[in-house]
Amino acid sequence: MMRFLASLLLALATALPAAALPVRHVRAELVAEAQGIAPGQTIHVARRQQIETGWHTYWRNSGDSGEATRITWALPAGWQAGEFTWPAPRKLPVGPLMNYGYEGEVLLPVAITAPANAKPGDKVSLNAKAQFLVCAEICVPEDATLALTLPVTVGPAQPDPKWAKAIAQTLAQSPKPAGLAAVFQPHGTSVALAVTGAAIKSADKAGAYFYPFDATVIDHAKPQAIERGPEGLTLTLTSGYAFQGGKAPDAMAGVLAVGGRAYEISAAPGAAPAGASGLGPPRVAGQGGADLGLATAFVFALIGGLILNLMPCVFPILAMKAASLAGHGGESAAARRQGLAFGAGSILTFLALAAALIGLKAAGSAIGWGFQLQSPPVVAILALLMLAVALNLSGLFEVGTSLQGTGTGLASRGGLAGAFFTGALAVVVAAPCTAPFMGPALGWALTQTPAAALTVFLALGIGFAAPFVLVAYAPGLLSRLPRPGVWMETFRKALAFPMYGAAAWLAWVLSQQAGAGDLAKLFGAAVLVAMAGWLFGMAQKRAATGGKPLVLDVSAGLLAALALAAVVWPQDAAELTSEAYSPARLAELRAEGRPVFVNYTAAWCVSCQVNDKVAISTGQVRSAFARHRVTYLKADWTRRDATIAAELASHGRAGVPLYLVYGVSGGDPAILPSILTPDIVVKAVEAADKPKVASP
Amino acid sequence: MSLRRRTFLIAATAPVLAGLTVAGATRAAPQIGGPAPAFQAMDAEGHTRSLAEFAGKVVVLEWISSDCPYTAKHYNSGTMQRLQKAARKQGVVWLTLSSSAPGREDYFTPAAAKAWQAKVHSNADAILLDGDGKIGRAYGAKVTPHMFVVGRDGRLDYMGGVDDRPFADPASLKGAKPYVALALADLKAGRPVAMPVTAPYGCSIRYGSAGGFQ
Repeated sequence: MMRFLASLLLALATALPAAALPVRHVRAELVAEAQGIAPGQTIHVARRQQIETGWHTYWRNSGDSGEATRITWALPAGWQAGEFTWPAPRKLPVGPLMNYGYEGEVLLPVAITAPANAKPGDKVSLNAKAQFLVCAEICVPEDATLALTLPVTVGPAQPDPKWAKAIAQTLAQSPKPAGLAAVFQPHGTSVALAVTGAAIKSADKAGAYFYPFDATVIDHAKPQAIERGPEGLTLTLTSGYAFQGGKAPDAMAGVLAVGGRAYEISAAPGAAPAGASGLGPPRVAGQGGADLGLATAFVFALIGGLILNLMPCVFPILAMKAASLAGHGGESAAARRQGLAFGAGSILTFLALAAALIGLKAAGSAIGWGFQLQSPPVVAILALLMLAVALNLSGLFEVGTSLQGTGTGLASRGGLAGAFFTGALAVVVAAPCTAPFMGPALGWALTQTPAAALTVFLALGIGFAAPFVLVAYAPGLLSRLPRPGVWMETFRKALAFPMYGAAAWLAWVLSQQAGAGDLAKLFGAAVLVAMAGWLFGMAQKRAATGGKPLVLDVSAGLLAALALAAVVWPQDAAELTSEAYSPARLAELRAEGRPVFVNYTAAWCVSCQVNDKVAISTGQVRSAFARHRVTYLKADWTRRDATIAAELASHGRAGVPLYLVYGVSGGDPAILPSILTPDIVVKAVEAADKPKVASP
Repeated sequence: MSLRRRTFLIAATAPVLAGLTVAGATRAAPQIGGPAPAFQAMDAEGHTRSLAEFAGKVVVLEWISSDCPYTAKHYNSGTMQRLQKAARKQGVVWLTLSSSAPGREDYFTPAAAKAWQAKVHSNADAILLDGDGKIGRAYGAKVTPHMFVVGRDGRLDYMGGVDDRPFADPASLKGAKPYVALALADLKAGRPVAMPVTAPYGCSIRYGSAGGFQ
């Protein structure tokens, strides 16, 4: 008996907090399309899910992993609930796998029917328990107890002002049969699914997709090749487990999404009708660029390339190069070779960028032009490059020439290679300026075959290189350029400033993409680059006067390498998401019986930052927080704050860091040591999540 | 983390402009009755293990994740450990694998694998560390738990779920049809496996950088 009581207590203790816990990543509720329900009437009630950004729940077939949302009703006698009406899902690729589900807000309507003998005037409680899996990087099974009370009315009640429209819309848009004929036929490891019918005959077939109800009939992650036909389409699917067991399945049912609509289909085995194929794959329209032809895209890219010459990041380099070319007006053959080398350098660099882009796209990265600038390390490297070019223009050090020979170096033997790399460098520094101008042409190019994409990039390169090559080839133009002289030094130093500007702009871009930590790293690296430039310049001066520059050169190289490493090194983990601390929020969470981790911190507190990096923002702690549904509150004391100061004082502290863990069973928080390890945090959190059970 | 990693990948690729990834070298997906892909991997103790080592024995491959509610369902209830114990009693070799990539929360270092093994009281013969996902990809392992049974002749006799209850709720274990146990019973009796392919269910295996299966 005692044992029975003890286990009962234990069961209660573990069950109670679970029931009181609000779900963490999904807010769920029941909403009805009408303000009441009449006897014998059927109305729709929907389970509304508001899913936290970055998380998703699943469709009836969750795909390769995951679990569909389930609901169990507890209704008064005679009341009936139907099945969910599932809105068309979204594809949610995860690594090499594919899931089907929902993000953001979704309504899952259910038909509720009142018994004929329901008494008008009564109130009916519709109770349900929903079980679902919500996933981001990790998955958390959650459940929700849902309830909705409606009055029983004499006749059909007024529509609900808030939800009638949304529920009706969801029902209208949800996939329904549309008299489509569907057959499937296995061929080796693939299955041809042919669908024909009036509803899809003239629909835009681009992006058509079949979501099977059964998780075993297709390999979800494999692409579905689309072939258009005069009466419909044929999808070539990769067969799933069901085709491996020996006998093929006798039906393939699911949802066909095509032309912005979704239809329910059920395919039987059989040969495809003639009208389901024969017109080839759909043409993919470019985003923004509509149906830009190859010729138009070529011209756009050519003009775009020309304009790029005027960009603040490019012009200084080109102007210097052109001016030095002018110095050799007499040696027109040499100038021509220089021009060609420059042209080859820039065109080949554009083509290499295009090839990288196409390769990454083929490898499955969701990238577009400007992708280089979406990557914080690349932005940081470009910022440092701009800074290095600016320092060079400011005269801190020279590139490719001795100090005395400024401008004459071009005629030297290394001149051609120098011109080639100037071309390549110009393209690399031009990259940040390309995105806004090249948008339509490049967007179009990326949806085309690799050959077409390369053609567009080729045009861009030609346009970009054209002015410089032209100057090199037209002695008349060349002679009109002013002669080099002392003015050039001044001009060059003035041109340094657009480059400093470009570096500053890139630093701002980085600050938008990454945290303050990355910006600090960039600034540190910038100081190193400047020092490297200075040492390098000194080495050059020493070499010019016959000294030994090796040590200076090596240290300059080391500093530059260090600077690069600092900005490229990937950060271990992003900071753990937290909520801002307030005593009210803490009290609320404690009342809900949830474990809470409070971090009293400040940006200027070095040990706080170290703890955050090495202990708190780690995978181990992240998953422990998720497992135990810990809310992470951050009390930021970077700025003066009387409330936080008082809190610190109440725990006997005059400053930060202070780490508190509040347990699910109330009581005083556990105070963690000021030097944290992931283990300390995980253990504290585990202890906090254990309900204290009185021993029987 | 994955985003950062991807970013770093692009960062490293863009300036270098070399070594472009060419999509998917084609390998055949494992087929029931076909040879089970051979493999070699380090176990939690630091020893190199291979499938060849167990030639002539029935081998069960079980993919797990220390973070996954479905793995947890089978271990918290003790179902998986009991299945392991019963299988080993029959002379079956049980290999547990983790294919989570480095940097993922459930990535197994030898220490993490041992800690998990001790925590769940695993009865497996070994825990294999497949952080580069080679074995997982060769078998087309998608989820945790994803189960494979290799017969004495080195051919694949079963692949799919542990049972027929694709739910995280521990209550779903009751009355479940234990596919793996049934497959092992068929093999023990010298019968062909009655249900050689079933739907696997669970959490996505968190493989490293992009790249498909097979």
